[in-house]
Amino acid sequence: MRRLALPVALVGGIVLLALAAPLLPLADPVTQDVARRLAGPMPGNPLGRDEFGRDVLSRLVWGARSSLAVAFASGAIACACGTILGLLGGWFRGLGELLAVRSMDVVLCFPPVLLALLAVTLLGPGAATLILVLSVLYLPGFVRVTYAEVLSARNHDYVEAVRALGASTPRILGRTVLPNIAGPVLVQLSLAVASAVVLESGLSFLGLGVVPPAPSWGLMIRGARATMAQAPLMLLWPCIALTFTILAMNLLCDRLRDAVDPRGAPARRRLRLVDRVLPGLLPAPSPPHGEALLALHDLTIEIATPRGAIRPVEEVSLSVPPGETLAIVGESGSGKSLTATAIMGLLPDAARVVAGAAWFEGRDLLRLDEKARRSLRGGAIAMIFQDPMSSLNPVHRVGDQVAEAIRAHQRVSPREAAARAVALLRRVGIADPARRARSYPHQLSGGMRQRVMIAMAIANRPRLLIADEPTTALDVTVQAQILELLADLRRETGMGLVFITHNLGVVAEIADSVAVMYAGQVVEQGRVAEVFGTPRHPYTRALLAAVPEGEAPPSGIPGVVPQPHAYPRGCRFAPRCPHAAAVCETPPPLEQLGDRQLRCLRHAELGAAAGIAA
Amino acid sequence: MAWAARRIAVSLALVWIVASIVFLVIHIVPGDPAELLLSSGGFAPDPAAVAELRERLGLDRPLLAQYAAYLGALLRGDLGTSLVDDFPVAQEILLRLPRTLELIGAGALIAVAAGIPAGTWAALRRGGAFDQIASATAALLLAVPVFVVGTLLVLVFAQLLRWMPAGGYVALADDPWRHLILLSLPALAIGKGLVAVVFRMTRTAVLDALSRDYVRTARAKGLSPARVLLRHVVRNALIPVLTVLALHMGSLLGGTVLVEYVFNWPGLSTPLLRAVEARDYPMVVGIVVTISALFVLLNLAMDLIYAALDPRIRAA
Repeated sequence: MRRLALPVALVGGIVLLALAAPLLPLADPVTQDVARRLAGPMPGNPLGRDEFGRDVLSRLVWGARSSLAVAFASGAIACACGTILGLLGGWFRGLGELLAVRSMDVVLCFPPVLLALLAVTLLGPGAATLILVLSVLYLPGFVRVTYAEVLSARNHDYVEAVRALGASTPRILGRTVLPNIAGPVLVQLSLAVASAVVLESGLSFLGLGVVPPAPSWGLMIRGARATMAQAPLMLLWPCIALTFTILAMNLLCDRLRDAVDPRGAPARRRLRLVDRVLPGLLPAPSPPHGEALLALHDLTIEIATPRGAIRPVEEVSLSVPPGETLAIVGESGSGKSLTATAIMGLLPDAARVVAGAAWFEGRDLLRLDEKARRSLRGGAIAMIFQDPMSSLNPVHRVGDQVAEAIRAHQRVSPREAAARAVALLRRVGIADPARRARSYPHQLSGGMRQRVMIAMAIANRPRLLIADEPTTALDVTVQAQILELLADLRRETGMGLVFITHNLGVVAEIADSVAVMYAGQVVEQGRVAEVFGTPRHPYTRALLAAVPEGEAPPSGIPGVVPQPHAYPRGCRFAPRCPHAAAVCETPPPLEQLGDRQLRCLRHAELGAAAGIAA
Repeated sequence: MAWAARRIAVSLALVWIVASIVFLVIHIVPGDPAELLLSSGGFAPDPAAVAELRERLGLDRPLLAQYAAYLGALLRGDLGTSLVDDFPVAQEILLRLPRTLELIGAGALIAVAAGIPAGTWAALRRGGAFDQIASATAALLLAVPVFVVGTLLVLVFAQLLRWMPAGGYVALADDPWRHLILLSLPALAIGKGLVAVVFRMTRTAVLDALSRDYVRTARAKGLSPARVLLRHVVRNALIPVLTVLALHMGSLLGGTVLVEYVFNWPGLSTPLLRAVEARDYPMVVGIVVTISALFVLLNLAMDLIYAALDPRIRAA
């Protein structure tokens, strides 16, 4: 509401000035004094005199009066008639709807100025004609807004309730529906008035609006145009008055709209520069030993929020040997997807990597410049996203989108790329690939779209493929087909696969090793058979218990993943953990236990209790 | 294709409705056109002269017969003759319409050529200096009425700087350079509001497109930033921009009336204004019907381009 204060004050000031015109100590706006025509500023005439020797300041103030009178009168008439027509059309539907609402479309067939000129031809110029034609012009806007709101209000419970109580129709419309449509109608009114000021001045400028000698800004500009060589300022004053008034009214419209419909309100600014400068500032860690295809080392991601910086991913270390599959599992909000986007270098603007390294074939991805990263992206490292519908561009043919991926990394002719795209579509199991390549995404089924995404990802024979919940948006039978396809492709090409999912059933089928993430941290990591056979972290156990299996009902995990700004100080799972104890107040380190990594201070006791050797 | 055919049929129906409404309005409004026409300066017209004019205009026949004759003439492209100088209305329109269209085309071209790059740049550097300056300029341009811009352009460029003539027209064939010079100021004036509208819409649409998953996909493919921007961001952002462009065709057509007047551009508005003042009905009806039909057809053209840009429309 505070944002409304300025425009309301401005428009209110202009309206007050216009209303107060007869009370102000101004010269008469129509009295001519030809002897002193075009006289400069002098006491009594601070802005000088016009081509007939009339006081310019006085004409400006009185001009506001006639402009605003016409604008408000036509706006009010259109508002009253339009709201009533819209109410009736929306409430009674049927013939009333046709007459009240559809007939309005006809008005919209005419350019507004044309309709106004037609009316002037028939009725002669003058304020009355202006008000009439402007009311007609703005009628459709009010009818449509009211009509739409009534249609939605009709189905609201409170309206139904009042109806059931037997209230009469006029009463329902007046007492219940009208207050609810007040907001949009008010916005429409402000738009109509602002636009009426523009049209009125334009018609007066053409000599077809307000009749001289009555003062009007449009007429003043018309008059001053003839003498602009001698007195350019005379032209400027009404131009400034007019522009300023419309500017204030437009501002009021914008702010009113924001107040009524907060969705359009401006969003906060985003950070940009930091993540461009940052990579070079990180201390360079030493490369890892071993032959991992991808090795994350203490990856930490920070996001700047209005409430301060948060770390949705903290000290995550993972590794994927060549040709193996690593599954990252965890509930929503555990930081899985953000980790994957960081590997791709596609973090949103507000997020940045503040610590750690991501080694890919001996190079630290986080310290590569953008050009080098781009050549890896979609080339050696490719990614498949969760929702294939929104991830494909709706306006390009799918074949072109696949071919585009090929041509981003290989120097081939467009024809050759198109042929390869068809071959890729065939490889991922799309029937009639030549025809399908010419389809748009909306013409394909969900499963086919995800196959297209996969074709795009494998187009340049990547050595690492990241799949971020690739089957979540698909139904169960299609899920199985897609998983099979991914497994086939991995065997065939020997690429490494990072598979992000919250579906543990899938992990056992497809992955060699698994990393369980919770609230931005890895809590348990190891070979799939080991981790799933003997889960050591309470969270892993809870996740496995939540998988529906046979007749036994799955047991859910109470509570939700905490938000990054509200992470517990100690063990992040402790608030939901059935085994939490006082010791869990201390942050647990990630311990290496043979092949297994584990982040739990009580794992030895718990393991002993469950009969597992520590 | 069926979609396009249906859309064309609807547009033709709209043109017919527009023509009918203009006819109805003229005949329903109280007061006899012939009497109004002849009653100048407050003197009652000579009844014999009124009767003669009524007969000449066909006003003495039944309304339906007049309507049939009117539609028949329209179909043949016959818009009657001016009451003022007997000049065929259709011929006058044919002479002047291309000039008005040229103005609209030039204005739209300026709006698109300036608005789309500026809107894209402002969106890419959201909150930056360029964004703030351009957004403020757009708000100002939207607020200044078109005739004010035109008049001020004349004041600055013709009166104060004396760089250009204040207005006028030279045919392209006679002197191409001077034709373009004379076109530039009116085209700027007419494009001023549209450029602000296009800028705002482009900015919003590009910001929206940037946050889409398919743009992330495009980046994940390793495409160059320029290609991501052009093929996946701007290309998709063009769709709403075009919708807005279509919505503003009406104000553009209306704007030509004022701009042609300010710059002495001999398009359709000169005879229109003269006819309005002289109550030259055939001329007013002819021009209003022509421009309204043009308006409908421009919207049709926009819809067809829209379908070419957005494959999802064609399926609907």
